[in-house]
Amino acid sequence: MNSDLPATPDPDAMISVRHLYKLYKDFVALDRISFDVRRGERIVVLGPSGSGKSTLIRCFNRIEPHDGGILSIDGRIIDEQTELTQLRATVGLVFQNYNLFPHLSVLDNCTLAPRLVRKTPRAQARDMAMRFLTQVNIAEQAHKYPIQLSGGQQQRVAIARALCMQPRIMLFDEPTAALDPEAISGVVKIVNDLSAQGITTLCVTHEMGFARHIADWILFMDRGRILEISRPAQFFTHPATRRARDFLDQMISC
Amino acid sequence: MATSMARPARRGPRRMPVLSAALCGVLALAGHARAQAPALPGFIHDGTLTVCTNPTLPPMTFVNGMDVNAVAGIDMDIAHTLAAYWHVPLVITTMEFTGLFPSLAAQRCSMVASGLIRLPAREQNFDAVAYQDTALVIVARAGTKPLASMADLSGRTVAVQAGTSYSARLARENEALAARGRPPIIIQQYPTEDQVVQQVLIGRVFAFASQDVELYYRQEQLHGRVGVILVPPYPEYGHFALYIRKDAHDRALLEQAVATLEQDGRIAAIQKKWAIAPDPARALSQPAPLFRWGVFFAALTSAAFARGAFITLTVAVLSHLTAIMISIPMALALNGRNAMLGLVLKGYVSVFRGAPTLLQLLFIWNALPQFLPIFREGWFTPFLATWISLSINESAYQVEINRAALAAVDRGQELAGDALGLSRRQVYRHVIFPQALRIALPPTMNAFISLLKTTSLASVISLPELLAVTQMEVARTFEFTEYYAAALVYYLGMVFFLLFVQKRIERRFAWADRHRARANEF
Ligand SMILES: Nc1ncnc2c1ncn2[C@@H]1O[C@H](COP(=O)(O)OP(=O)(O)O)[C@@H](O)[C@H]1O
Ligand SMILES: [Mg+2]
Repeated sequence: MNSDLPATPDPDAMISVRHLYKLYKDFVALDRISFDVRRGERIVVLGPSGSGKSTLIRCFNRIEPHDGGILSIDGRIIDEQTELTQLRATVGLVFQNYNLFPHLSVLDNCTLAPRLVRKTPRAQARDMAMRFLTQVNIAEQAHKYPIQLSGGQQQRVAIARALCMQPRIMLFDEPTAALDPEAISGVVKIVNDLSAQGITTLCVTHEMGFARHIADWILFMDRGRILEISRPAQFFTHPATRRARDFLDQMISC
Repeated sequence: MATSMARPARRGPRRMPVLSAALCGVLALAGHARAQAPALPGFIHDGTLTVCTNPTLPPMTFVNGMDVNAVAGIDMDIAHTLAAYWHVPLVITTMEFTGLFPSLAAQRCSMVASGLIRLPAREQNFDAVAYQDTALVIVARAGTKPLASMADLSGRTVAVQAGTSYSARLARENEALAARGRPPIIIQQYPTEDQVVQQVLIGRVFAFASQDVELYYRQEQLHGRVGVILVPPYPEYGHFALYIRKDAHDRALLEQAVATLEQDGRIAAIQKKWAIAPDPARALSQPAPLFRWGVFFAALTSAAFARGAFITLTVAVLSHLTAIMISIPMALALNGRNAMLGLVLKGYVSVFRGAPTLLQLLFIWNALPQFLPIFREGWFTPFLATWISLSINESAYQVEINRAALAAVDRGQELAGDALGLSRRQVYRHVIFPQALRIALPPTMNAFISLLKTTSLASVISLPELLAVTQMEVARTFEFTEYYAAALVYYLGMVFFLLFVQKRIERRFAWADRHRARANEF
């Protein structure tokens, strides 16, 4: 990730964004966003509530289609012609409130998409699901329903479910929002594991400790714009913008 | 309207002289044959005698037994005898009482034989030929003191069958009462004769007007619970008559036929068969117990009730399934973005929820054939009409249940499906519908139970469902408490069974309940 960018997207970057626009009616949710993310990097997106963080990461798997600018994922330009099934297999997303399927067991939550989208045979899908459930340390709950699990356990199921599509990019929308400190360190470990496996991760978070621990880069947003892209050490000690300083002050005071 | 080919005439058509001659010999032995077939009247179309009747008036014309299409009674026996006399096949067509004369005028019947009194007013438009003497009687509960004259009914309530001439006759009596400054007779009209009698039995009205012939026949069913309190001197109520379209020649032929049958004793045999003579011993039989368990259990285990319940359940299930099929795409469209389509659907829902279900049923059955002749054909049965109207009606309710259930599924579920790369179809099939189903199940089950009971409305368009069967049995036997109780047991049985099924299905939704989900762990 770097700040002085060429006008065209970088085909070697995992994610490359140029002048990305997103409008809700006449409200500008994303305003001329540009940056590059390299393979395996861990990006943390910070910013006040309503600044467009969720909107930004949702553009990457086209759950929210962008309205202008160029978005390139793994060297391919994403637009209305993009094959969504393939894009979404490349880009996994873990929602802030997990959105597990309540009517399916943990195991079935994980095997549904591989079976329907990739046509993976049932047994093979189960094996893979158990592998990822083991990786996120929740394999013993495989036959329970989501309603029987704690927030942290549901979070890990949601991660395993996304991993079962074997994505190259994982997007996390506030993965730590409802978790106790112990569970947060569990997520830190998972993200680091993924990065070690070469999976690129983007996390939206409000948890400063979490951001400091995992981020290769901090991306600070406000009102739909990127105000700062910097290393965590730099960002937390010498934020470049006044908005970032105010934001950090507020975060620390509460 | 149900049309049935009655028992085939004793002879083939006149066009088959060989067979005719052979049968002549056989019938001569039976003492019935005529040397030569009499001249055919003009009302016999296409060589067939078509008799229209409203079979609700024992012993003249009624459904005797479980088969709705088997019309019996004096009138039917007369019709058979006439058909045999003319050597033509007989077709009996049943219909509402009020439809009889219009059908005769429209040439849909050769003749009306339906326990009709010979009345001057009717003879202005149709020809009548009498075949049976009778008298109007005023009947009250057993033990009521006989009256001296019609004036004694002043201020009392009298029940009559709607569409008969009795109410007009009583109205004339009221004019006389009014002239003398006395309160009028209160006239209540009921759609069928058996309901008229019931009102007296339960004591809601003081008396009813009827013909003596009916009463003699009814006394057996009524176990002497009613008695004649007055035979008013109304000469115009002296004869039952067959009605035909005005035609002096036809009338003469019919009169000749009836006269012949009277002379050769065939009409006397019919009268004897139906026992139409006053029988004081029968009227004095012991009073009936309040509730006869034997009758109740016989009704409960009868094939007629089982079949009625089966039709009720079948038409309800089919209608609801159809309603669900129609209403799922409607609910999706209502939740969707097409405003125009949404408006059209809202109109549909308003119309079919707003109009009474009974009106919709009558509209489909009676009004639709006016616009589209294809619905006049035989394939458009009462069952089909009920199925169609209840499906449409129910879909208007079901669409709201479906819409609410779909809206109640968290929008994040759809996003999660999308994010995993599922197609639109897969998202609905595997993610949204299973969850909406659980939300929709209890209200859908409620709606179904309600629909099951609504099917009883179809008795008005002659669908032999449970309530229609019950009413027919009551009309035949007058054991209404027992038959109503049996019907109640059937309806309750069906509803409780459905509630049981619902509980079983809900158990499959353990995922929605933390505690039960735990119990299901393995
Ligand atoms: N579907 C939508 N329709 C209209 N406005 C939206 C929609 N989604 C988000 N917004 C608006 O866009 C802005 C950014 O939202 P979001 O990306 O969710 O912010 P964040 O995740 O940073 O809190 C907010 O002002 C929000 O109100
Ligand atoms: Mg957000």
